[in-house]
Amino acid sequence: METLLALLTVFTQPDLLLLVAIGTFAGIYIGAIPGLSVTMAVSILISFTFSWEVYPAISLMVGIYMGGVYGGSRTAILLNIPGAPSAIATAMDGYPMAQRGEAGQAIGVTTVMSFFGGLIGILVLALAAPYVSVFALKFQPRDYMLLAVLGILLVGSLSSGSLVKGIFAGALGLAIGAVGRDPLTFTERLTFDLQLMEGGISFIAVMIGMFGVSEALLQLQNVDKTAVRQKITKIVPSFGVIRKYLPLSLQTSTIGVIIGALPGTGGDIAALMAYDHAKRVTKNPKVPFGKGAMEGLVAPETANNAAVGGAFIPMMTLGIPGDAVTAIMIGALFIHGLNPGPMLMVDQPDMFWFIVGALFMANIFMLIFGLTGIRIFTKIVEMPRAVIIPLILLLSIVGAYAVNNSISDVYWMLGFGVFGYFMRHYGYPLGPVILGVILSRLLDDNWRRAIISEREDLGRFFEGILTSPLSFTLFAAVILIFVSQTPLWTALKTRLFRKASQ
Amino acid sequence: MSRKLIGAFVALGLSAAVATAQDYPAKEIQGIIQWGAGGSTDTVMRAVTPHAETVLGGTVVMQNMTGAVGAIALNHVAGSDADGYTLLMGAENPLLYKVMGLGDKDYSEFTPINILARGTPILVARNDAPFDDYAGMMDFIKANPGELRIGSTGPGGVPSVVTAMMNTEEGTLDVTAIPYDGDGPALTALQSGAIDVMPAVLGAAIESIRAGAMKPLAIFDTEASAKLPDVPTVTSFNDGYNAYLPWGPFFGVFVPKGTPDDVVAKLTEAYATGAENADFLALMDGRGFTMMSISGDAAADFLTTWQQNTAWLLHEAGLTKASPEEFGIARPGQ
Repeated sequence: METLLALLTVFTQPDLLLLVAIGTFAGIYIGAIPGLSVTMAVSILISFTFSWEVYPAISLMVGIYMGGVYGGSRTAILLNIPGAPSAIATAMDGYPMAQRGEAGQAIGVTTVMSFFGGLIGILVLALAAPYVSVFALKFQPRDYMLLAVLGILLVGSLSSGSLVKGIFAGALGLAIGAVGRDPLTFTERLTFDLQLMEGGISFIAVMIGMFGVSEALLQLQNVDKTAVRQKITKIVPSFGVIRKYLPLSLQTSTIGVIIGALPGTGGDIAALMAYDHAKRVTKNPKVPFGKGAMEGLVAPETANNAAVGGAFIPMMTLGIPGDAVTAIMIGALFIHGLNPGPMLMVDQPDMFWFIVGALFMANIFMLIFGLTGIRIFTKIVEMPRAVIIPLILLLSIVGAYAVNNSISDVYWMLGFGVFGYFMRHYGYPLGPVILGVILSRLLDDNWRRAIISEREDLGRFFEGILTSPLSFTLFAAVILIFVSQTPLWTALKTRLFRKASQ
Repeated sequence: MSRKLIGAFVALGLSAAVATAQDYPAKEIQGIIQWGAGGSTDTVMRAVTPHAETVLGGTVVMQNMTGAVGAIALNHVAGSDADGYTLLMGAENPLLYKVMGLGDKDYSEFTPINILARGTPILVARNDAPFDDYAGMMDFIKANPGELRIGSTGPGGVPSVVTAMMNTEEGTLDVTAIPYDGDGPALTALQSGAIDVMPAVLGAAIESIRAGAMKPLAIFDTEASAKLPDVPTVTSFNDGYNAYLPWGPFFGVFVPKGTPDDVVAKLTEAYATGAENADFLALMDGRGFTMMSISGDAAADFLTTWQQNTAWLLHEAGLTKASPEEFGIARPGQ
């Protein structure tokens, strides 16, 4: 009964409900603008809500978080510029749809699927949080490393065209991610003794430059072309469409929850892995991936919103943040006099159920705000290029500056923008670069931790992989996915197939 | 946004006419937090500053500026005007930048406004570790050289200093140090069994200890903590530690040297009053921090002593890049 009351707190108090709504609404727009991140918004809110009670403060933060993760897809679909790292995969199929005049439909599906993913994440949080967190704690450094290797193998599905160029782009991303003082030993890497390089290259600056500026430069080539008229019928997907993608979205939501619940990995990696998964399991998409496949929207969007619920799992059960946003929320709980940790669920179960309730409401508001106002949004794509190109550049500059309030980030962003333009020009995919930057530290840090803890003995390292069921499963998946991308696999498949048909 | 713009215009107008301390603060004050959002420094600064703002009658806009172990924030504030409108909200690390080869600036370029509090290190072990106390751990290390995995947070971090103390007092210990970027991730790794022991700050581990998710081995202080009265002090096992303790990471607010005295006085008063706020004290107590709230000469002396002790300890343990002597850091007691 008390549980139910706590769960319903947010519904019974109109002011809390209003705050969740405001948060979600603001979150969608913060998420949509590249460079303005949920992490930043929530940390500003800590000071802003300092004198408030804890429930209203958390309501606002939960709303912003949920809305922000979804909002990143807006600019990804309309402008080919992911508003947040978790929307990188969304751009790959969302933007081609907008180019065909189907932006409204793309946003509609994205919204409904984000809602669905968010719902799965919340359900898992509410019903299975303790079990998931026990599972998440099973991951050892070598498992994180294998997970990163699994991520690196996504290069294959993120690069349309030449795989070699994709691999080059991925390797470049890994190198960009390694620049600066190594956070584990503080040794300078790839800094060329320049103070500018010491702090590393901001990942967000790379992302905004590569996607935003290079897109603007690319559009300069067809300034005089008239924009595609957007069809604005059929915005809300029919029940049949939803049912069609239900099995896929269940799978990708599961990926989202688990990756979200792992401390140190979040919605960005979840979305990319889900995209890859969709590409693997969808045998005959109606439209090919990368050209506007609906599956390519469903997968990342369900996964990144499911990761929200997932990220709260270790936070609420163990006091361990599932990602950057939940790390700040733990700080907020401290400031409001709570002690987040393993005892929070025991001492203050109300807090847990309140957050579940608030997340649920934020998810519903996201659906409402997401499906209204699409008509106005799609007008963005119909704007003349002479307006939209300067707008993209302006947004990119503001976004890159806002991350660290540092002007050098703006220069990095512009530099990578020009570089990204030439990469596109010569057929190098940009997705793998970002993938490399995201995974660089996950791979590098955990490889070092794993091998140091085995006292730098490769034999012991592999023994560890083979004896732990979790590591072995991941290792097997790595091998399998790797082999499936080589010609060996096709040869093997045809041979097996022939045998079966004889 | 428009508020910021108005603020900027107001600031422009004011910098033309020389601002006097009577007007201070006449515009928004920038508070640069050296560490990321959600960390200890961030939480402490965001908790105390609103109380200081009421005394000050102005606004402090806080912003996290991370990178290069906090050196980016330090250099940024050191390079800004010494007018009291840019504050550095930092922790202890800058005092080790020079000897660790991480930078050429430290708090000697700043005037301390308030050293708010210090943390207490505590040695914790994972629950299924094959020992239950400090002595048991020492026996385990001797019996299994290189097998004990101890968490670290890079050279100059709390674990490295605690490990250096242990190496000095117990003889060089053959353990394997696994690096993590912060004690939060390291304590997570401890619970998942990736490391065996971790010298952490009490506040970061206290909730997990309370819940029985990890075993406390020893508090690195001369007296037991009121929060965990049953955990023995490390000095009860080995007298030698008395030479270094009490020692701990700390949090402080700083302004660049050369800031007008009356501005420093105003800020000092604001933060000293803010640090007395009951809510803030409760928060600090709950996280196991020891309140200090010192300023002026007391703060300057504290910084000097802290730097001497720690830099020489690390240097003698062979962990530094350069001798403290090169930077005029005297041996403790000299």
